[in-house]
Amino acid sequence: MEQLVELHLPNILGSEKEAIVKAVTIAEKMGFSRDRIEDLKTALAEACINAIEHGNKFDQNKRVRVTLAADDNSLQVIVHDEGDGIDPKKIPKKRVRDDGLPCRRGYGVFLISNLVNEFYFEKNPGKGNNVKMLMHLNG
Amino acid sequence: MSKDIKVSTSRKGDIAVISIQGDVTAVTGEVIGNAYESADISNSPKLLLQFDKDCYINSGGLASLIDIASEGRKKQQKIHAYGLSDHFQKIFHMVGLTRCIPIFSSEEAAMKDF
Repeated sequence: MEQLVELHLPNILGSEKEAIVKAVTIAEKMGFSRDRIEDLKTALAEACINAIEHGNKFDQNKRVRVTLAADDNSLQVIVHDEGDGIDPKKIPKKRVRDDGLPCRRGYGVFLISNLVNEFYFEKNPGKGNNVKMLMHLNG
Repeated sequence: MSKDIKVSTSRKGDIAVISIQGDVTAVTGEVIGNAYESADISNSPKLLLQFDKDCYINSGGLASLIDIASEGRKKQQKIHAYGLSDHFQKIFHMVGLTRCIPIFSSEEAAMKDF
């Protein structure tokens, strides 16, 4: 099975649902388990939210592009924004506040990295920022 | 009220209950926050968060729930949750939210353990 789908989402919170619906359809066809599809949904949602909020900075003139590429063994998801990209070193690492409660924000990248098999940033100065995620069918 | 979320409050004996259906996000989190702020809920020493099994929660929604946990701690309020899908139970564990809002398998178990 090989399939390539590209979606162009408005830069508005909530638009990620369109990509999630499409990704779920593809992942179901590929034979991913229900648990892994739930992981995919959350990882994709968080990548889109980061693109809208931190990449495109809520600028409604910008778009988020989601590319879903499926083959027999894996599903690759690329979330592209038109921002300057992020420095992975600047992503907050702290998860727990001094009072023992979880920190309020900064879970997007943390969740993505724990829910997909492979994940990395691709920074293209002047051309935007990609977050690439890979889920292996037997991973 | 946001069209993506339905939140209602009630009381079961001395336990305040917030029932949540729909999407828990940065946008809809305000609805839950407003429900929590009502005096009957925020001043109750025991609070039960009753999630619908189809609830969707993203990182913005987690932030709203962490706000409630934070307020609850200031008031020495005990907060329990139940009804979450297996996936979102896993997410709660990942971010450490279960340290302040333990999850139970049923309403009975959640209420009994207060």
